[in-house]
Amino acid sequence: MKKVMALSRITFLEGIRNRSVFGIALFSLFILGLNIAVAGFFMRDVGKVTVDMNLSALSVAGLLLVFFVGVNLMAKDIDRKTIHLVLSKPISRMEYIWGKYLGILFFIATSLAVLLVLSCLTVLLLNGMYAGYFGAFSWPMFFTAAFFVFVKIAVLGAIVVFFSTITSNSFITLIFSICAFIIGTTIEEVVFYLRSGFAEQEIAISESLRKFIEAVSYLVPNLAAFDFKTEAAHGLAVGWGRIGFSLGYGAVYVILLLILASVIFSRREFN
Amino acid sequence: MIELKSLYKTYSPGLFKKKVPAVRGLSLEINHGDVIGLVGPNGAGKSTTIRMLLGLIRPDRGSISFRGVPLKDADIQYDIGYLPENPYLYDHLTLEELLAFSGRASGLSSAETKKRGGELMEKLAMTEARKRPLRTFSKGMLQRAGICFALLHDPSVVILDEPMSGLDPVGRKMVFDLVTDLKGQGKTIFFCSHILNDVERLCDRIGLMVGGRLLRVLKREDFAAHGEASLHLVVNRLGEQELSGLHPLLSDIAEESGRHVLSFPAKSLTAVSEQLHALNVEVLASRSDRLSLEEMFMQAVEENR
Amino acid sequence: MRRWGLFLLVLAPFLVGHVSLSRGMWENRAQVRSETEAGYVLPSKFSRILALGYKGVLSDFLFLKTATFYGERHMLGKSLDEADWAFLKAGLDVVTDLDPYFFDPYLLAESYLAWEGRIDEANLILEKGLKHRDWDWRLPYFIGFNHFYFQQDYEMGAEYIMEAASRPGSHPFLKTLAARLAYYGGKAETGIVFLRGILAEMDDPHFRAPLEKRLLALERAAELEKLVDRFQDEQGHPPERIGDLVLAGYIDALPTEPYGGEWVILATGRIYSTSKFVSGKGG
Repeated sequence: MKKVMALSRITFLEGIRNRSVFGIALFSLFILGLNIAVAGFFMRDVGKVTVDMNLSALSVAGLLLVFFVGVNLMAKDIDRKTIHLVLSKPISRMEYIWGKYLGILFFIATSLAVLLVLSCLTVLLLNGMYAGYFGAFSWPMFFTAAFFVFVKIAVLGAIVVFFSTITSNSFITLIFSICAFIIGTTIEEVVFYLRSGFAEQEIAISESLRKFIEAVSYLVPNLAAFDFKTEAAHGLAVGWGRIGFSLGYGAVYVILLLILASVIFSRREFN
Repeated sequence: MIELKSLYKTYSPGLFKKKVPAVRGLSLEINHGDVIGLVGPNGAGKSTTIRMLLGLIRPDRGSISFRGVPLKDADIQYDIGYLPENPYLYDHLTLEELLAFSGRASGLSSAETKKRGGELMEKLAMTEARKRPLRTFSKGMLQRAGICFALLHDPSVVILDEPMSGLDPVGRKMVFDLVTDLKGQGKTIFFCSHILNDVERLCDRIGLMVGGRLLRVLKREDFAAHGEASLHLVVNRLGEQELSGLHPLLSDIAEESGRHVLSFPAKSLTAVSEQLHALNVEVLASRSDRLSLEEMFMQAVEENR
Repeated sequence: MRRWGLFLLVLAPFLVGHVSLSRGMWENRAQVRSETEAGYVLPSKFSRILALGYKGVLSDFLFLKTATFYGERHMLGKSLDEADWAFLKAGLDVVTDLDPYFFDPYLLAESYLAWEGRIDEANLILEKGLKHRDWDWRLPYFIGFNHFYFQQDYEMGAEYIMEAASRPGSHPFLKTLAARLAYYGGKAETGIVFLRGILAEMDDPHFRAPLEKRLLALERAAELEKLVDRFQDEQGHPPERIGDLVLAGYIDALPTEPYGGEWVILATGRIYSTSKFVSGKGG
């Protein structure tokens, strides 16, 4: 565990000092600033618009962080053979995977926490300016949704780590991870489309296609399960059951993926 | 201590591409306290051998054992310090952070890490740079930082892949002194290089690798002058009569590509010189060694074309 | 071997956990989706830009989303409220803005918006298709049908049907239909011809079912209309009430009205129903 933490520490430092972090932070600040600027354009639901924009800024920043910095942290080790140095120390392949993943996770958590503080300030400011139009807003829901943005990014981080273990090229890792992300965000619509009556139009393909989509729906994470943006925007109550399910689903998916990654990684050769 | 037994390794670079044999039937035994150098042209399989030894890749055939234990069961990483060729260390870390990681990964306490790290940085003149991010380091500094990283846990076996490549003379001297120092401490050192001069001066044994094969293992006696100092003169091919005239003065006569190399103790230089003059033999060249490592190296490469 | 055993041992509980949590999550989502409000469709002014040059794919995705939304409600037997209708309409509007050549949203607009009584909304969307898919006879046909059948505007209906008949590949019956429409107006038999034409174009059972039900109703109405005409010819005056047909022995019993309403005779001699041929609001 000590070794895992040591590795995650340097991964974290390497990530947080990356210059692209500043770019991503600037981008999110821009969105937050835009939010403050445009809030006055809306008539009633200023609270909803604010929450929408804040959570989207967090989510997009998280995606950029995990796809660019996260992929880099994982794949550059292999690309540039730093992994030879690391593995020449008494660190097992499994410890390497977990150390790297935790490092990426700390890195993302820290970055998102900083952005969350900034976005809280935005919300507070706008809440003060347009106090009458924040009727349905609730802080607990806002934080829950922000936390699930982090959970979503954590799942994507595990996907990045997993793909880095089976490819030796950071670009391929990036492409695969983005594909997984796109499938993950759209799978729910597809699954429910197939379940709804409309799919019966395609009787010829439906049986095999349905099976295939069913299988995919277990392989790829359903990222819509981590989306609480609408609820936060309208201050709707969310049951603990749903929160628990989403969290458990994400956590088990991450662990499963990392176990597989460790196994693949320990069979892998580095030349 | 380390035993490599008939190792084979073939790389498959990808689908539809020809497989590349990297190491073919390599056997080598490394004893405690040995300083062994592998020399060979690029692509000879030196780095592959080292990676197999580190467990980064698995040999297709053959076995590696460390202190009599098969490699995969031996916790070799606690005993090994490894410096790769052109180490890429993390861009945004400082040397201090890197060493802290190295220490923790090897199970050292932070006090030990600090002490050992301080000593090493002192020795390699890195103390001033310890708080700078590694991306600002020059190539030589990175090499030395890599050495600090590798030696922090005081390993008994040191593996260096091209430790001298890309260094300026000062840096080379520093690394050279360090290896000499390690040798003095009785460490086992295994390195590969194509800077033959360094290998020649440092090693007890030298393995010549070409095309994935270990062609010869030379002992120190084979490539370095030993005992009393000898001189070697290269002359045109001599006749029977001239040879018999010179014979009593010489310790050895060797024939080499149509010429003769005459070896004799340094103290009989005057006598030999007079005799050569008397026989009207022209001296073409002189050498410090009868056969330099470089020649042996070139010879071996030629033979294996 | 032992390592693989250990690996499987560690993996197994997580695999089981994953599968069961996935199941639960999907059920959970199904419930959440049925409960949440229809949501908001970004106007096409913005989505055009946000599509970043992938307007086609975005329109496909939005169509899928819109269709699924309706399908889910339909399957669960939930009635749609005003917000849901607005979502459906806005969704189709954006989809056809993003890609006005895409036929499926027009079919959906005709089959659902129009048949559920939202004629004006449907016609608005269909007009877009009429303009862009200028080779496709089905779009003027749909609009003409709406005018004729739902709005009883026979002149407009005939105009669109004539337009449809002039487009390539149209059914030959359209030409006679246009003529009939102008002449007979809203007799049940005209509706039957229409519906048979539309049914010939459809192979989706979900779309067919409501149309077939209506066809059945119209066929029965046409049957009764014939009897009313005979009654008129033989008795010299039209029946006052529908029951007169039975009393006078023209028919043994009135056929059941598929929508559950009662047959009535209109002043024009046309047969209609108290249900107005619409299944009890929303169901």
